[in-house]
Amino acid sequence: MPITFACAASHVPGMTAWPEAAPVAQKDRVYGAFGALRDALDASGSDTLIVLTSEHWANFFLDHIGAFCIGKAERYSGPVEPWLKIEKQEIKGDPALAAELIEAAYDRGIEPSFAHELEFDHGTMVPLHFIAPRMDRPVVPVIFNTLAAPQPSAQRCLELGRVVGEVAAKSHKRIGLIATGGLSHDPGERNHGVIDQDFDHRFLAAMAAGDADKLARYTRGEFAKAGAGAFELLSWVALTGALGGRKGEVVAYEPVQPWATGVGLMNFTPALAA
Amino acid sequence: MSVYVLQKLIRDVNRKPACREAYFQSPQKFAEGYDLTPAEREALLKFDVHALYAMGVHGLLLRPFTIMHKMSDPEYIKAVRGE
Repeated sequence: MPITFACAASHVPGMTAWPEAAPVAQKDRVYGAFGALRDALDASGSDTLIVLTSEHWANFFLDHIGAFCIGKAERYSGPVEPWLKIEKQEIKGDPALAAELIEAAYDRGIEPSFAHELEFDHGTMVPLHFIAPRMDRPVVPVIFNTLAAPQPSAQRCLELGRVVGEVAAKSHKRIGLIATGGLSHDPGERNHGVIDQDFDHRFLAAMAAGDADKLARYTRGEFAKAGAGAFELLSWVALTGALGGRKGEVVAYEPVQPWATGVGLMNFTPALAA
Repeated sequence: MSVYVLQKLIRDVNRKPACREAYFQSPQKFAEGYDLTPAEREALLKFDVHALYAMGVHGLLLRPFTIMHKMSDPEYIKAVRGE
């Protein structure tokens, strides 16, 4: 079945943990855009979600780092952060779909790690909270190493995304895709609070055009210059791979200083982003 | 040892409720369970965020750790930049 829903969204924790810090107009536009994505997901009838995401030392540490990890668990819990102001809950997994993804990736020469036990941090819980708040659709997380250098290349992420797209399109399930992270931000680092709007607009334009070639050429240096958190955009690149270069619509972009992040939301669902 | 162990300690506090409780009850006693250098131990026990950052603690370990200590964003930015 064709992919029924696809979006990309930032997951900065301030959106739930300290929403009041943001200027009201910016917060309202971001929340409104999340509402539009939520409506698009509901209207799509998607029954399963693949979340292309990153984590923040929740499951993995420097004792063992892999480029990609696909969650094969029956269920997940999250958030791990007690301060996120999202209620801790359980989210169903889809081990069968995860197994299909892993095998398809191996067959294409990409070997992600996989895990039968994972917890979700804000990187997955914030977008689910806003876009799929009932948390009743099974989720398969695909986690990208965006923390420890070297991060996987954009080209490699695009290729993994293509595998995800092929598996989703062949499935009898109605699969929605959520890519999450970014845009420019340097969380916890020296340039915490610095937002590179030029970088963000260029990246969003490439995503909107479905320009896989341009996205695959982004280097580690370019992401690093836009802040350590910009590596999370590797999941967005993968989404373009999954969608075969489908064009998308920027639903909102707000450089929100108190959230220290260029916040972007995009919709690639065909009915709304033709 | 290296900043690896210091980061491991901070991650344990961020991530594991029992460690978090033990650390906030007695940072000194909690730190005894980790092979820290004297400088790391001092920075940790003084909650010297600038020193911890300069030693190489990853921002996404240090910022959540400082959120647990109720440190605001502006205070954090000043601390890591040494302002």
